[in-house]
Amino acid sequence: MATNFWTSTHLKELLEQEEVDVVHNLDKQRGITLDDFKLIKLQMTNYIARLAQNVKVRQRVVATAVTYMRRVYTKRSMTEYDPRLLAPSCLYLAAKSEESTVQARLLVFYIKKIYPDERYRCEIKEILEMEMKILEALNYYLVVFHPYRSLPQLLQDAGMSDAIQLTWGIVNDTYRMDLILIHPPYLIGLACIYVASVLNEKDNTAWFEDLRVDMNVVKNIAMEILDFYDKQRTISDERVNAAMHKLGLRK
Amino acid sequence: MADLDQLLTKKVADRYLKREVLGEGTYGVVFKAIDTKTGQVVAIKKIRLGKQKEGVNFTALREIKLLKELKDPNIIELIDCFPHKGNLHLVFEFMETDLEAVIRDRNIVLSPTDIKSYIQMTLKGLAVCHKKWVLHRDMKPNNLLIGPRGQLKLADFGLARIFGSPDRRFTHQVFARWYRAPELLFGAKQYGPGVDVWAAACIFAELLLRRPFLQGASDIDQLGKIFAAFGTPKPSQWPDMIYLPDYVEYQFVPGQTFRTLFPMASDDALDLLSKMFAYDPKARISAQQALEHRYFSSGPPPTEPALLPRPPPKKDSMDSKPSEFGPTVLSPNSRKTRRVMPEKGNDHGIGNERSGPAPMSLDFSVYDNRPPARPTINSADRTHLKRKLDLEFQIPEDDEYP
Ligand SMILES: Nc1ncnc2c1ncn2[C@@H]1O[C@H](COP(=O)(O)OP(=O)(O)O)[C@@H](O)[C@H]1O
Ligand SMILES: [Mg+2]
Repeated sequence: MATNFWTSTHLKELLEQEEVDVVHNLDKQRGITLDDFKLIKLQMTNYIARLAQNVKVRQRVVATAVTYMRRVYTKRSMTEYDPRLLAPSCLYLAAKSEESTVQARLLVFYIKKIYPDERYRCEIKEILEMEMKILEALNYYLVVFHPYRSLPQLLQDAGMSDAIQLTWGIVNDTYRMDLILIHPPYLIGLACIYVASVLNEKDNTAWFEDLRVDMNVVKNIAMEILDFYDKQRTISDERVNAAMHKLGLRK
Repeated sequence: MADLDQLLTKKVADRYLKREVLGEGTYGVVFKAIDTKTGQVVAIKKIRLGKQKEGVNFTALREIKLLKELKDPNIIELIDCFPHKGNLHLVFEFMETDLEAVIRDRNIVLSPTDIKSYIQMTLKGLAVCHKKWVLHRDMKPNNLLIGPRGQLKLADFGLARIFGSPDRRFTHQVFARWYRAPELLFGAKQYGPGVDVWAAACIFAELLLRRPFLQGASDIDQLGKIFAAFGTPKPSQWPDMIYLPDYVEYQFVPGQTFRTLFPMASDDALDLLSKMFAYDPKARISAQQALEHRYFSSGPPPTEPALLPRPPPKKDSMDSKPSEFGPTVLSPNSRKTRRVMPEKGNDHGIGNERSGPAPMSLDFSVYDNRPPARPTINSADRTHLKRKLDLEFQIPEDDEYP
């Protein structure tokens, strides 16, 4: 982890779980529950990842885009900020701020290609307008830290270099939750290593102790990740569609 | 009614009272304004939206992104950002003048302690950037703005980047040529904060000489000028030099002593300069180390910023005479006199970096585009994991966190 995390706006902007799990009044009025809220954010995370695969950007850009999307929804409602427009716009802005610009027209092209559903369609102009609104909602804080950078080194140090693919995948999955809004990325990374080491039956107790981090927090994050995997299996397309339907946007 | 309309349009975003234009930036106009909420005088940069329909200007976004992370007395403050009529506006604290104007003003005498003060503030701002892993990459007197109480602040972060990962590769086409470090001129793609320190050394030298120190007419000539001053580097001085992409062997020239180059400077100043001008970026002094150099702690202390000599505020400087040294031209965009810069239009020499897409950074590109499949965990795994999670660390935890 780069040393500047400790003085970053990312650290200052970290929230409590209770602050993240707030359904905005406008959304509540449409019958959106906390579960729906989480489900839609999960769906949009998948959407961003899929789009990113097509326009070929680094995982880091995906991670930043998802973080932007989740941050916006701590401040703005889904009623006002249609997820189906916000998600690609976040990817557009993240690509730019992570120095791997993607053209808006390319996004529009792939959205049309991979989502036949008309309600996902959007125009270049809409993405550009949304970009400005995202910037405002983010209070122009654009630097986001992720667990990826320190991962290979930590794994090597823990004698787990062979588990890079597994751990990398678990880190990717953490963006399907709101962890990045709540915990410092290095702790998320450690939690993922923890889950991976248990999964690989590798006893890393001594190594974790040497790190002198609060293992309670790491353990709690690991538990959340496991709970998520557990719940994940019960999610059906119908549930997602029902939640999106409540929003009833883009008629 | 018309009067009211006019009044309303003058007040930007219901808050700022627009005043005169201060200058034309690369990506927008900068105008003076009064913040009616606080009464503060500010400078507002209106970001032009490109014709290419690519939303918020890439360079502006970079500047916003980094300045939001950098809050320091020696770095320009980005007070606010807001969209207005589809354009993004950046609100900065208002700065009266810049270091280029100070150096150029023949009516100003810079004492050794004045120079010490200016270079100390420059290094302080730089040290903060580097501590936060930000490279400025466009250090030059024109981008060091001076506030109403004499405070010098780093500005213009449109070229700056975060250098977090050591194996990141950057473009070497940064900095105005005269401030470019030798590793950049040899095409280095992996470089660090040393490039900013070299530029700061050039600024230090410029404060002493009152003219740009190394005025190369091309990249090759720039290296020639550097070697003519300090001597062609020997491999022992800079072992990695010969491996740089654009390395070519230069004919050996002996170079001059720092004492000859800067006859008026103190021994401490020369010692610091020689360390900032070290050829090998690995051996070059860091901004933080430079601040701890005895040049700043011994001898007469740096002048208080408020007491520093500076030219009259910009609005009065329009009728000031061109300086007597070096070639000057009247810039077509402003009535301010400007020094001729080599290849002015391509000053930053980065063309597509400023407008078009930037090269992707390479960290973890090995994993790009083929993210590993998400691990699936079945319920048996989960029970197993949960048990382990609950059991492990129980004892050491109790030991460590009583
Ligand atoms: N904070 C400020 N206070 C006063 N004038 C400013 C300020 N920022 C910029 N300017 C004026 O606007 C000009 C262009 O701004 P700058 O940020 O340097 O753009 P560029 O990227 O083109 O160099 C400067 O040369 C200066 O004259
Ligand atoms: Mg400038």
